[in-house]
Amino acid sequence: MKRRSFMKGLGATGSLAITGGLATPALLSGAGRAYAQGGELNVGLLFSLTGAVAVVERTLHDAALMAIEEINAAGGVAGMQLKTFIEDPASDPATYADRARRLVIRDNCVSVFGSYTSASRQAVLPVVEQRNNLYWYPTLYEGRECSRNVMYGGAVPNQQQQEFVPWLAENFGKRFFLIGNNYVYPREENNVCKMILAGLGGEAVHEEYVPLGHSDFSSVINRIRTEQPDVVFCTLVGDSDVAFARQYHAAGFDPETMPCASLTRSEVEVQAIGGEAAVGHFSSAPYFMGYQSPENEKFVQAYLSRYGADQVTHFVSEAAYFQVYQFKAAVEKLDPANITPTAIRDAAVGLTTMAPQGEVVIDANLHTHLWPKIARWKSDGQAEILVQSEARVAPDPYWAYEGETCTGEGLVRG
Amino acid sequence: MNRTNHYDFLGYVAFAIIILLGVPFLLGFDGFELNTFARYLALAMVAMALALSWGTAGLLNLGQAATFGIGSYVMAMHLKLAASTGNPGGMPDFMGWTNVEALPWFWQPFQSLSVTLLAGLLLPAAVAGLMAIFMFRGRITGVFVAIITLAFMVALQLVFIEEQRFTGGQNGLTGLAPLELPGWTVDTYSLPFYYLVAGCLIVALLVGMLVVRSKVGLVLRAIREDAARLRYLGYDVAAYETFVFCLSAAIAGWAGMLYTLVLEFASPTYMSVSFSLAIVIWCAVGGRESLVWASVGAILVNLAEGRLSDMFVEGWLLILGLLFIFFVIFLPRGLYGLAVAAMDRLRRSPRTEPPVPVKEG
Repeated sequence: MKRRSFMKGLGATGSLAITGGLATPALLSGAGRAYAQGGELNVGLLFSLTGAVAVVERTLHDAALMAIEEINAAGGVAGMQLKTFIEDPASDPATYADRARRLVIRDNCVSVFGSYTSASRQAVLPVVEQRNNLYWYPTLYEGRECSRNVMYGGAVPNQQQQEFVPWLAENFGKRFFLIGNNYVYPREENNVCKMILAGLGGEAVHEEYVPLGHSDFSSVINRIRTEQPDVVFCTLVGDSDVAFARQYHAAGFDPETMPCASLTRSEVEVQAIGGEAAVGHFSSAPYFMGYQSPENEKFVQAYLSRYGADQVTHFVSEAAYFQVYQFKAAVEKLDPANITPTAIRDAAVGLTTMAPQGEVVIDANLHTHLWPKIARWKSDGQAEILVQSEARVAPDPYWAYEGETCTGEGLVRG
Repeated sequence: MNRTNHYDFLGYVAFAIIILLGVPFLLGFDGFELNTFARYLALAMVAMALALSWGTAGLLNLGQAATFGIGSYVMAMHLKLAASTGNPGGMPDFMGWTNVEALPWFWQPFQSLSVTLLAGLLLPAAVAGLMAIFMFRGRITGVFVAIITLAFMVALQLVFIEEQRFTGGQNGLTGLAPLELPGWTVDTYSLPFYYLVAGCLIVALLVGMLVVRSKVGLVLRAIREDAARLRYLGYDVAAYETFVFCLSAAIAGWAGMLYTLVLEFASPTYMSVSFSLAIVIWCAVGGRESLVWASVGAILVNLAEGRLSDMFVEGWLLILGLLFIFFVIFLPRGLYGLAVAAMDRLRRSPRTEPPVPVKEG
């Protein structure tokens, strides 16, 4: 007893070990350096390579990295090479916050490209806002955010729905069954969907939310069978969407008369679902792998030859790719001595870039004007584009909220 | 003060000096650099809280992250309300979006700073106390304590995720205001903030040590060794167990409050199984028998995680996992056990003079 207690005095030894672990120069760095140094510009990639969302985020990482390397191979940005700092936040919000600090504070990155989920974006937000850095977020999301430090490359609800819902109502009917995972994105998309439906004289016959990762939909399918809606409006994500699509198919529902209309189902999910179960259902997004354009052919070809012919490109990886080119175009407008995250942001506003989906523009509210498309899935896992909007659709992240507008000066009320 | 307490105290002082002076010196007293380390200190605090119940009384709380999470949400609720003063009805934004009419009654007390600070300690303690009464009055021990606490935490996390209207759901509470203490707006990237966290850890360790070194601590260790015998001797085992369980929960809640301040958001992942098991691992690496060593374990594992993820972007989780397996197999008592063995060897080595008999204090 006595000796053991005596040894507790050895806390000191452990403390020494801490000191040893710290005394390595990598952790010691000076803040406040110039961003453009020695012909290099530091950028960060913050996509999970491990953990729950790694399957999707790795494709975003791959697409963004490919763009960076293409740019470097073609001579860089205004003569400067992009030096890439890669972090793996392991699908955990706290780790996102920690790694974002590293990229922004220690590695002196002038911009960070990253994230798929809203939870991770919001974990990073305090860091980039506090340090006035720039975070390029490629994912479609629920809107209702107006940070001056985030470049939103994905669609917001009005861009995905304002043509999609009326089109569905016209072709299939106005009785919608809403199914989604229980978090902010599906709830918000469904709020918007119900508003549009109300304007059309339609209705949401039932609204249901299941926990993330939920995979048994027998009760939901029974409910669909009794309700007999015209459209099943689906905002399930990841594994849940895959499980639902398979069980929906197994239940024998006919997509000709009662299709699933999804805002989240991309080539990635369809690949997991399998062509047979996915065929005939609909998705709305600004980009599909099968879209015909010279830019897209180049993008798809480069991606597949680099990462394997079994890979797919999809509406988030496309944005992860074109956002790097937006970044490049913005930096090239600046004086090399004066490159800062805020200068890049200001230069990016109004910038047009040729993306695989078409020519995109960055709005003053830092969201992106996109080309929404309505597509039907084919049995080979590709989408057949049925409707393409005639003009770029402007992003309105507060579309459903009267009296609130996201502008170039941030959120304006009244 | 007897000699054993004396050495205990020395180790503690050494740890405090390193935290207060050594680390800030190495990082150039730079608030930005110290911010990451402040996070490790908050985690060290929850590891120490677990060591208090697990190492001392043998109660393995696999749901320690639940009380940590409660503390974290308590602080986040206060900061969220502070950030929402401009909103209609002073309601947090996500409530407006989920069609909540008015600020729910259980949010309202958190407008007050003092209520928040108290609740961050007392709420976790109360929750743990309730669990403890049911468990320990029923003489539940060992692996069943671990299972019940784990199950409770999973259920609690589910509630926080599902009740999105009141908790922010999967995203947690984000968009928080900085903490306003009387005369000080807390800047998490400042040196004073680091000292706030370091000070809290040192005070928590002191409280823990006083308990461990007291009569109560002796009884708790006796419970760990043989609870039945203590019962025969007339001790109210359940009361002692409940006490240490509550104290551990309060310290975990305290750590959770600090964690919210460091990261500037509260997330349901703070109550996840993986996070809770990570706390157990930190304790195991440092050595659960010593509060200071448990803290050291948390700091070292997180430092290692930081370094490894820097060096091996692809394989850091795997390497970390292998390290943990190594510890469990070869160092079941953690670094503390290693230090004990090393000191033992040193004392027995022929070079040393025959030990002078020490009078027991």
